[in-house]
Amino acid sequence: MTAASGFAALYRRRLSVSLSQPAALAGQILTPVLWVLVVGPALNRAFGGFTHQVDYTSYVSLGQIVFILPFSAMFAGLTTLFDRDFGIMRELLVAPIHRAVIPLANTAVVLTVAAGQFAIIVGLALARGAHFATTPARLLTALAAAALLSAGVYGLAEFLVYTIKKPQAFGTIIAVIGATPYVLCGAIYPIAVLPAAVKWLTWALPWTHTVALLRYGLMSDTAAGLHQIWPGDLSLTGAALLSLAVVAAFAALTQTAAHRAFTRTTLK
Amino acid sequence: MMQVTQSRPLIVDRLTKTYPGGVRAVRGISFEVAEGEIFGLLGPNGAGKTTTLGVLTTLVRPSGGRALVAGLDVMDEPLAVRRAMGVVFQDSVLDNDFSGLANMRLHARLWRVPEGRIAPLLDTVGLTGRAHDGVRTYSGGMKRRLEIARALLGRPRILVLDEPTLGLDPIVRSELWQMIRALQAGQGVTVLVSTHYLEEAQGVCDRVAIIDQGKIIALDTPSRLIADLGQHVLEVGVGADPAPVLAMLRPAPPGLGEPMRTGSTVSVPSSLPAPELTGLAGRLDLTTAGATTISIRPATLNDVFLHLTSAARARTGVLA
Repeated sequence: MTAASGFAALYRRRLSVSLSQPAALAGQILTPVLWVLVVGPALNRAFGGFTHQVDYTSYVSLGQIVFILPFSAMFAGLTTLFDRDFGIMRELLVAPIHRAVIPLANTAVVLTVAAGQFAIIVGLALARGAHFATTPARLLTALAAAALLSAGVYGLAEFLVYTIKKPQAFGTIIAVIGATPYVLCGAIYPIAVLPAAVKWLTWALPWTHTVALLRYGLMSDTAAGLHQIWPGDLSLTGAALLSLAVVAAFAALTQTAAHRAFTRTTLK
Repeated sequence: MMQVTQSRPLIVDRLTKTYPGGVRAVRGISFEVAEGEIFGLLGPNGAGKTTTLGVLTTLVRPSGGRALVAGLDVMDEPLAVRRAMGVVFQDSVLDNDFSGLANMRLHARLWRVPEGRIAPLLDTVGLTGRAHDGVRTYSGGMKRRLEIARALLGRPRILVLDEPTLGLDPIVRSELWQMIRALQAGQGVTVLVSTHYLEEAQGVCDRVAIIDQGKIIALDTPSRLIADLGQHVLEVGVGADPAPVLAMLRPAPPGLGEPMRTGSTVSVPSSLPAPELTGLAGRLDLTTAGATTISIRPATLNDVFLHLTSAARARTGVLA
């Protein structure tokens, strides 16, 4: 048995779990639709006048990516939790596959769903009149940032699933991790307007770096906000690489922690 | 040290497991299972059965000793060990949102076996007509049958069943054991089963090991274990105070074993034939000591289990 064949079977199964249920499918697709078509325009009317240099429709639609993708990743933890407590996890643990493939396949499905949601958000934003400008390198940076944030948040979710004993506690954490960073990270408004003490907190959030990288990748330099995080004398490319490194470190840290928690709880 | 035989499908040699926190679940147990045998692990809750099965299925890391599955060390070659066995867990481990067929297909992909094997197995366990239905709609017995079919999909050399009939009604339990027997005979698979239902183990298992407090306290065929205890059991109903009856039976008269009280019943194993035991019971005049009922019945594996585990607990000072 190769690691790849086990991965393919697990990926296929988990993708079916994520998409086969009508409610789950509707949730994965309708949430970004609702945000782009309803919430985004409402925010535009409420906050859209804060600057004339930036197209707020484009600005806030990219901000919605750092709400939808992490929230979906946190919710994906519920499937893992269900598999562990009431589902098929033990069947997978006695399968002739490398066990490390199990969380990897889960992460791959989270990234697949994230890619679909990313495409829906950007596509609908364009349909609503958003303007995006990019280059291959900048687009790659934006996609990498979104993928790393999704993988990082899912790693955090898996770590919590294998660490927290009570499923009810996980439900509470979904809301905290899914929503709070979004409000603070500059998705709706520039972090420059936040009080100095809160700014320090936002700089530590991978969400903040991801939304800045998304705007760096798909909007004008002015909209990026990277210089609201890093010193102004740093080049924009340098700032983008540093932010990408922060998000990558977050993903590496949470995925490693998740892998360790998974191994610790599944092999007694 | 146990003389290990590499060709045996299952070899457990001085196995120990101490969990973090110091709980000693398994304390140096050894046994071998022969090819094609149905071997039962019996024991009260917390005896160490599930931990032993956990080690064999590579879900639990042993603290000492070793376990070989199909000649492979569970610690050195866990993937090959998992490939050699099919496992049915104590509680249902199925994808409830999917059909029975989808559950079988996932297993086939993970074990890399042709999906052509699915249909005959579903037919064997009587689920062909429900293969496309969601597992959520299956009864407990149907889920069990599906899990057994799934466990056999990879043509395992060893089938591990952890309490396979737990929570099922007596008719379904009986049907399931018949099915396991038939599958074992038909496919030549070696079966390791843990169960609380001792009367079922007596009818199905070729040999059994009785585990208590992490140690094997008896290992033999059910018939020999029963013969060692005595062919019959004298059962005496007692009132609120069993002391007079117990005093009459201690020390044990010739032909009777150690009496054991369970609730309002005192049972005494005996090697005497039924007519002689009836005569002895009459001569003892147990009714004067407060016996409410007196009966004689053939001994069962349940009696063996109760007498051995209570004796083991008495030795270690643990009250049953």
